[in-house]
Amino acid sequence: MTTLQSNQFCNTNEDPRNRPQLIRNHTDFGSVTDDILKGNDAARPPKSWWFALAISFSMMSMLGVLIGYLIVTGVGVWGNNNPVMWGYPIVNFVFWVGIGHAGTLISAILFLFRQKWRTAINRFAEAMTIFAVICAGTFPGIHVGRVWLAYWLFPIPNQMDMWPQFRSPLLWDVFAVGTYFTVSLLFWYLGMIPDLATMRDRATTKVKQIAYGVFAVGWRGSMRHWHRYERAYLLLAALATPLVLSVHSVVSFDFAVAQLPGWHTTIFPPYFVAGAIFSGFAMVMTLAIPARELWGLKNFITMRHLENMCKIILFTGSLVGFAYSMEFFIAWYSGELYESFTFINRAFGPYGWAYWIMVSCNVVTPQIFWFKKARNSIVIMFTASLFVNVGMWFERFVIVVTSLANDFLPSSWGIFEPTWVDVMTFFGSFGLFMTFFLLFIRYLPVLAIAELKAVMPAADPHGHGHSYNEMTPETDAQAALAEEDE
Amino acid sequence: MSSVKEQKNTGRTWWRSLDEVVASPVFRKKVQEEFPDGASELLATGNDRRHFLKIMGASMALAGLGVGGCRRWPKENIVPYAHRPEGTMPGIAEHYATCFDFGGIAQGVLVTSNDGRPTKIEGNPSHPDSAGATDSFTQAAILDLYDPDRSRGVTYDNKLSSLAAFKEWIASYLPNDGSGVAVLSEQSSSPTYSRMRRAFMKSMPNAVWVEYDPVANRNERRGLAFAFGGQWKTVHDISKATTIVSLDADILGAGPMQVPNTRGWAAHRNGIHGKMNRLWIAEPSLSLTGSNADERIAMTPMRVSAIATAIGAAIIGNASATLTATEQAWADRMIADLKHAGSHGLLVAGASQPASVHHLVARINEVIGAAGHSVSYTTLDSDYKTSISELAELIKAKDVESVIVIGGNPAYDAPAELGFEELLKTLPLSVHLSLYEDETSKACKWHVNRAHWLESWCDGRSADGTVCIGQPLIRPLFDGLTPSELLATLSGLATTDGQSLVRETFGGGEDVWDPAWRTAVHDGVVKNTASIETPPVNRRIAPLTILEDHGMVVAFKPSGSIWDGRFCNNGWLQEIPDTITKLTWDNAAILSPATASELGVKQGDVLTIEVAKEKVSIAALPVPGTADGVVVLPLGYGRRFAGRVCTGAGTDVYPLRRNNSWSATAKTVRATGETYPLATTQMHFDIDSTPGKGTQERLPLLFREGTLDEYNKHPHFAQHVGHTMHSLSIFEEQQFEGAQYKWGMSFDLSSCTGCNACVTACHAENNIAIVGKDQVLMGREMQWLRIDRYFAFESDGHGGWDGDKLSAVAIQPMTCSHCENAPCEEVCPVAATVHDTDGLNTMVYNRCIGTRYCSNNCPFKVRRFNYFDYFRRDPLRSTGMLQVQPDYYVKAQSGGKTLRAMQFNPDVTVRMRGVMEKCTYCTQRIQRVKIATKNTWVKLSDAEKAKDPRVSLQDGAIVTACEQVCPAGAIVFGDLMDKESRISKLHESDRAYEMLEELNIKSRTKYLARLTNPVNGSTGAGGSHH
Repeated sequence: MTTLQSNQFCNTNEDPRNRPQLIRNHTDFGSVTDDILKGNDAARPPKSWWFALAISFSMMSMLGVLIGYLIVTGVGVWGNNNPVMWGYPIVNFVFWVGIGHAGTLISAILFLFRQKWRTAINRFAEAMTIFAVICAGTFPGIHVGRVWLAYWLFPIPNQMDMWPQFRSPLLWDVFAVGTYFTVSLLFWYLGMIPDLATMRDRATTKVKQIAYGVFAVGWRGSMRHWHRYERAYLLLAALATPLVLSVHSVVSFDFAVAQLPGWHTTIFPPYFVAGAIFSGFAMVMTLAIPARELWGLKNFITMRHLENMCKIILFTGSLVGFAYSMEFFIAWYSGELYESFTFINRAFGPYGWAYWIMVSCNVVTPQIFWFKKARNSIVIMFTASLFVNVGMWFERFVIVVTSLANDFLPSSWGIFEPTWVDVMTFFGSFGLFMTFFLLFIRYLPVLAIAELKAVMPAADPHGHGHSYNEMTPETDAQAALAEEDE
Repeated sequence: MSSVKEQKNTGRTWWRSLDEVVASPVFRKKVQEEFPDGASELLATGNDRRHFLKIMGASMALAGLGVGGCRRWPKENIVPYAHRPEGTMPGIAEHYATCFDFGGIAQGVLVTSNDGRPTKIEGNPSHPDSAGATDSFTQAAILDLYDPDRSRGVTYDNKLSSLAAFKEWIASYLPNDGSGVAVLSEQSSSPTYSRMRRAFMKSMPNAVWVEYDPVANRNERRGLAFAFGGQWKTVHDISKATTIVSLDADILGAGPMQVPNTRGWAAHRNGIHGKMNRLWIAEPSLSLTGSNADERIAMTPMRVSAIATAIGAAIIGNASATLTATEQAWADRMIADLKHAGSHGLLVAGASQPASVHHLVARINEVIGAAGHSVSYTTLDSDYKTSISELAELIKAKDVESVIVIGGNPAYDAPAELGFEELLKTLPLSVHLSLYEDETSKACKWHVNRAHWLESWCDGRSADGTVCIGQPLIRPLFDGLTPSELLATLSGLATTDGQSLVRETFGGGEDVWDPAWRTAVHDGVVKNTASIETPPVNRRIAPLTILEDHGMVVAFKPSGSIWDGRFCNNGWLQEIPDTITKLTWDNAAILSPATASELGVKQGDVLTIEVAKEKVSIAALPVPGTADGVVVLPLGYGRRFAGRVCTGAGTDVYPLRRNNSWSATAKTVRATGETYPLATTQMHFDIDSTPGKGTQERLPLLFREGTLDEYNKHPHFAQHVGHTMHSLSIFEEQQFEGAQYKWGMSFDLSSCTGCNACVTACHAENNIAIVGKDQVLMGREMQWLRIDRYFAFESDGHGGWDGDKLSAVAIQPMTCSHCENAPCEEVCPVAATVHDTDGLNTMVYNRCIGTRYCSNNCPFKVRRFNYFDYFRRDPLRSTGMLQVQPDYYVKAQSGGKTLRAMQFNPDVTVRMRGVMEKCTYCTQRIQRVKIATKNTWVKLSDAEKAKDPRVSLQDGAIVTACEQVCPAGAIVFGDLMDKESRISKLHESDRAYEMLEELNIKSRTKYLARLTNPVNGSTGAGGSHH
């Protein structure tokens, strides 16, 4: 074995011989389990967890109060008006659905493509998906004028013999988001079964034993269990893959099927999907960076993982930028009066500020990831991911609000101003999201323990510890490199 | 009465008998509160059911108990509704003719009554001025009837008293010969009222009679007094003129003459036989007349007088004032046109013009031959000997110590220099008869509540002198007296009840079944009573001195929304946007964009305007088309009367108005640096901004217009403005299989003036809520029908537009077009908006869950969403944190059994919050006619049925609310399947075009392109505005 120079290790080098291991500082399976479940096993969660939970929970309670206020008073408590009949609620809906995208992408598509690095982030990316879709689902439900009748959106047999109106994209939304949520939940739960069994086996109290036991559905880790489990997981991954494309395509139909200039464009489905992946990865990054600090997961979510995510953000961000420019090109190329006006107005009209926030956050910011230094700086990537989150919220704001505010007849043009209820409800949804997330990291296996073990050198049945560096304990040089990255 | 239900027990209360209701303490308390006057009498009767019904019968009907409350038969006593009167059917509306005296001219109306509740006012087709149409004020009057802020009793020193006490007091304190007594009356055309005036003056020979109306055309009266001697008024028949020259006269704008003027003008606007009339106007700010004029020039009122002298010079050889080059050019073209028109010319001068201009105009009209043709005159039966200023002097000199104010509101609107409110307060005896306890009532010792005209017997004269007779539609809700009744009481006449007084005016007689009388009451009009003549004009016209304008000129005008302030507590009128400014709920200082930038203000910046010693701060509103150096102040706002609608609405500018003049010179006009939110329903965009340019770019597509010459050359010009590629719909279009009818509508942009009558009618017909200023600011107004207004500007020569050069004002009514391929329908997830086979885009309120997607996909944005239960939310001027008042959570969705709810049209659902609503083409009116026609059809023989298998309706049988009121006849509704119907012909006509046709939505509403008739037909798109 040749001696390796530290500079030969390179996170961006996909030559397996020259990259750090996916899991650092671990050579055996037991310590992996111990380390990942350290936070769960502790008798008391850290103070910072309590602190975060207190904030999140109060924000969630505020959301509940605001929803109650909304229901008894009327949707007029929001700033929606005529012509901007859809304001924050739909912006938030699309924002959260978009965030909920990364989970399935990571768990299904990257799984099918055998991207092993996904194992470190897939569990909480999926959790994030579930919680984001819950947040997303809240909004269309409460944004309708008569909340108590929102169930009419579902095709429930009734005495009126009335179906929903199947030509409406809102109905497609109900199906698309509903399917996506169901499949994501199943996928998440299925993947968690072996780990739940691990937690059951490690449980120190009766309550935990029973609770984890019930959810582990009698997992004993037999060969047959593993065999069935892996088949099922693969099948679900295959089933979930089209959903990655379908959900946000259907969400984009809400706009693309309408005839409003600025909404009525064929580019929307791919553009929305790219945007969703973009925002989803940004959110994974926003969550992963503090979580690996808080829960001591630096050995599992390594710089290499983060760097890979940076690359995806760079790629999807550029796609989104391309979509922005194509919209302008088509608006000009079509020669359509209303269409061209809408886009010029987006950039230079009353909402120009929102448009330029969107462009600078979504197109300009990710370009920093062309630089390796940026891809390896926690501060830069965390800041950039926050910018992307902000930018993607503004993208939805720009699409929803600016198109509605200035449509065909200038007489009905208006301006949308959010009320305090709009703003607080949006923040409240973060409370809901974070509360779920904090409970998740405390009570469920935050990483896919079983899957992680499979990407360790020790899991390689053919290597016998001699083939290449993944089999050897990390060299000092590698470690040094990894430390430098931090 | 209204809240009998508000007992403590939950759930619905069922009464076994009326006795049970009457006996309950809650009910008795309510009666006491609602009818303090009659309550003692009522309660004294205990549980005597018959007696109770006698007194309360009428009011019971209001609570929906089905007791006929309308006093329409000649018997005085009211009987229990044991037997249904012949010819009435519960649930079937009835119509009664009456009249509404507004500004001294009676408007003939036909009022719809639903089971004893008047709910809607229409024009009286037999009335010469109305011919079935009304203006916005008349439409809105129904809401005033049910105004909860109306005064409910007699007060003394602002404390509740009684009518009996008032009568007793007045009998002992009013001097017998009338010395020291003055009556300050509003204008009235009522013959009965004149008779009472004479009776009063006879019984009190030393009394002083004063008539005052802040916006009366005093100058015209004085000018005509010079011209003919005596009291005269001009009557125009605009339909007989081909060249109409207006000298700052808003003939098409709000006012008592709006309906006949609009009809006359619109009669020759459609270019049939290649001809149209031509309207010229010189005015300080854009009025309705100005926006519809073919040739317009903006200038100060003083310069308008100069133009008048120039016409005088050209036609009768008077001395002319010096004109500027622009003015001269404009005047030359106008005078040439006027001369060319000969007796078909017509000159009209506005109230702002001095008396001598009115005299001059009368003379010019005589010379060109318009007099006796399109101009005639009628005498006024009024007493104008003493003016309000003289009355003020008399009060100051203690020569008058008792003032009886009948109607009007002089404490608010008297000339500023008189300090009239203070003078009233100094009087030992003062009485005010009024609908509201307003500023004047507060200043007077006595306030006597007035019966609304819909509650009283009344009469009046229309513009040409035709006598109208009005009957009450309902027993007075809060008792109250009519002006004639008050005068009769004061004069000590034997008869003091309204019916007998009116009856006596027309010959009296014991026979209540007198056919002539009954016909007059039924028709609302006494035929052949017009009295117009054309006396010769005195040729010695006082020379006119034209002074230079120094500094900023302040011009006043009555508000197009609330007139002189009298309609200020009417929520519909407050919320219906002014056609030109699109402003609701406030007035503002209107100035030209150039003047605004000189002062450094933009929309909503507060200006302080100082005239003489008075200062007023008011928000600025730049409007193109205003003359530079002029600030126009609409009157009527800033009332100090605590009505729940008018409180806080706008700024009172009467303090700046001295001697009732229509203009003044401002000492200073400067920006204060503060801002004030102005709730406009259309946003203002600078001409250089992206939306501003975008508007100008698309305007020719949306609002198509051409000059008469263009039309004569290319009759189909309107259909060739845009390129439309019809594409196939992705959905199968089968919704019209088996259609019996094909409803369609058209708006004629050529004759629509934007008078707002249709918008108000729609409010009244369709139970549309008002939302309040805060909600208008948020863009949540609910009007189903709106008037879009665009300013078209001239090109600046390099691809842009010049915001100072107004080329045309586009006025376009806009409501649901009932698209055949309705974009709203395909996006609704719950199928709450669907088509019926006859082509109505229906809105199923019960099914709507409020996703609002339909509105997003509506290219016209005509759908309206109930963000709140607006009927249980009082209109707010600014939204607090909670957006609603606490009682919002406990009231009923329809506002409950309140007075307001009595106006509701029972045929139209009151929508709850969370549902979408929009124009239905008045589906309730369609159904009414369809049902009646089908009922007739089924009785036909089979052979006759086979001839008409689809049960065709008579064209014009269905009239939508907007169509019915339109004085210009610009709105037509009908069945497109009937190829002979008016609507079919209009849809096929040259000028018809479909808005946003390129979206393949197939609107059922088409627009008829506007034609204009500027002198040089090829200049500009819509005449030359400067």
